[in-house]
Amino acid sequence: MKTSNAWHLREIILLTLIAIFFGVIYWVVGPIYNVLTVALTPFGLGPAANDIIMGIWVMAGPLSGYLFKKVGAAFLGEFLGAVVEMFLGNQWGASTMISGVIQGVASELGFTFTGYKRYDWFSLNLSVLLTTIITFGWDMAQNGYIKYHVSLLIILFIIRLISTWLFAGLLSKAIINLLDRTHLMRTETR
Amino acid sequence: MNPSLKLLLGVLIALEISFTRSWMVNLGLAVIGLVIILTSRPKLSRFLLLLVIPLIPAVALAMAILLQSNAGTHFAIVLFTRIYAYVFIGSAVTMTTSISDLVMSLEQNAHVPSKFAYGFLGAFNLLPKIVSEVNIIRAAGNMRGQTLHVWSPKLYFKAVLASLNWSENLAEAMTSHGFVEDAPRSYFKRIHIRWWDWATLIGVLVILQFALFGLHLQ
Repeated sequence: MKTSNAWHLREIILLTLIAIFFGVIYWVVGPIYNVLTVALTPFGLGPAANDIIMGIWVMAGPLSGYLFKKVGAAFLGEFLGAVVEMFLGNQWGASTMISGVIQGVASELGFTFTGYKRYDWFSLNLSVLLTTIITFGWDMAQNGYIKYHVSLLIILFIIRLISTWLFAGLLSKAIINLLDRTHLMRTETR
Repeated sequence: MNPSLKLLLGVLIALEISFTRSWMVNLGLAVIGLVIILTSRPKLSRFLLLLVIPLIPAVALAMAILLQSNAGTHFAIVLFTRIYAYVFIGSAVTMTTSISDLVMSLEQNAHVPSKFAYGFLGAFNLLPKIVSEVNIIRAAGNMRGQTLHVWSPKLYFKAVLASLNWSENLAEAMTSHGFVEDAPRSYFKRIHIRWWDWATLIGVLVILQFALFGLHLQ
C-alpha cells in the first residue's frame, strides 16, 4: 500500500478525534489512577499507580503511528491528546503538554528507527520499548524517581514496561486487527 | 496577553521547575497561578476540584520520597509544591484563554497551517458528542451482555469507527463551506502580538531566574 506523507484535513480531524476519544474513554471508564494512588500512597508506593496506568495514557501514539503510517502521526496523536486533556483540566496542568511532547516523540521514534517502512509487530514493540525508557527517564527528573532506592526503581520500570506493552502494544495490535478486517482504513488513509 | 505566548510561557515555566528544587519558587508560582485563576471567576465546584484533585498525586509523590528514599523532607516538599505549581500555572493559562482564541492565535502568530488549526478546532468542538458516544458504545455493549472495559479492544474499535465516520462528515462540511487546504485566508478576527506580550514573557522569565538563583544562594 502506497501512502503519502502529506496531511489532509480529514486525516487531521480523524487523528484529533481518535486522540480525544482515547482520553475520554479513560475518563469515562473510571478514575482508576486516583483510586490506585490513594490505595498505594500509605505504603509510599503511590507513584506505582503512574506506572501501572502509563500504558493507557500512551496508547494513542503507537496506535496512530501504525494506523496512519505517516511521518509525525504517532507524535501528533499523543500530543494532541495531551493538549485536549490540559484544556479539560487534568491533575497535571501545564506539565501535561511537556509529557505530551515527550511521550509523542518517544512513540514516534519507534517508527523513525524503522525508517517508516515497517508497520508490524516489530516497529510497534520498538515504539513501546522506547516510550517506556524515555518517559521513565523524564519521571526520574520531574517526579523525583531518581531518589528512590534502586530496587524500587527497577520494579517501577518493569511495571511500566509491562503496562505499556499490554496497552500500547498488545491492545493496539488487537484494535488494528479488528480495523484491518473492516478494510476501512485502507481507503481512508491513502 | 497573546494566547500563543501565554501558552509558551506556561510550558516554559513548567519545564524549568521540573529541574529546580526550590519549594518557595514553586509555592510562589502556585499562588500567582491561583490569583489569576480567581480573577477569571471560576465556578465554585470547579475551583474546589482544582484544589483537591492535585492533592492525590502530590501526596503520593511526597509520601514515596519520605518512605522509599533517603532524599528527606525538603525534596518531598519540593515535589508536593511542584505539582500544585504545574496545575495552577496550567489552569491560569487554560481558564483565561478560549480554545478558539488560542487556535486563531496559533494560526496567525505561530503560523500553524490552517488545516491543522481548523481541523483541530472542529474535532475539539465534537467533545460533548464524543463523551456521549463513549457512553452509547458501552450501553450498547451492556445490552448484549458484554461489559466493555478500558482494556477491551472493541471499545476502541468502535470509537475509531465513529471517528472515521465523523471526520469524513466534518471534513466534507468544512469543504462545502468553502474551506480550502493551504489556500490563503483572510481573518475575521485579527490577533496581534504587541510589544508588551513579549515584555511580559521575557520579564516573567527573568524574574523567575532571579528568584531561583537568589534562593539558591541562601
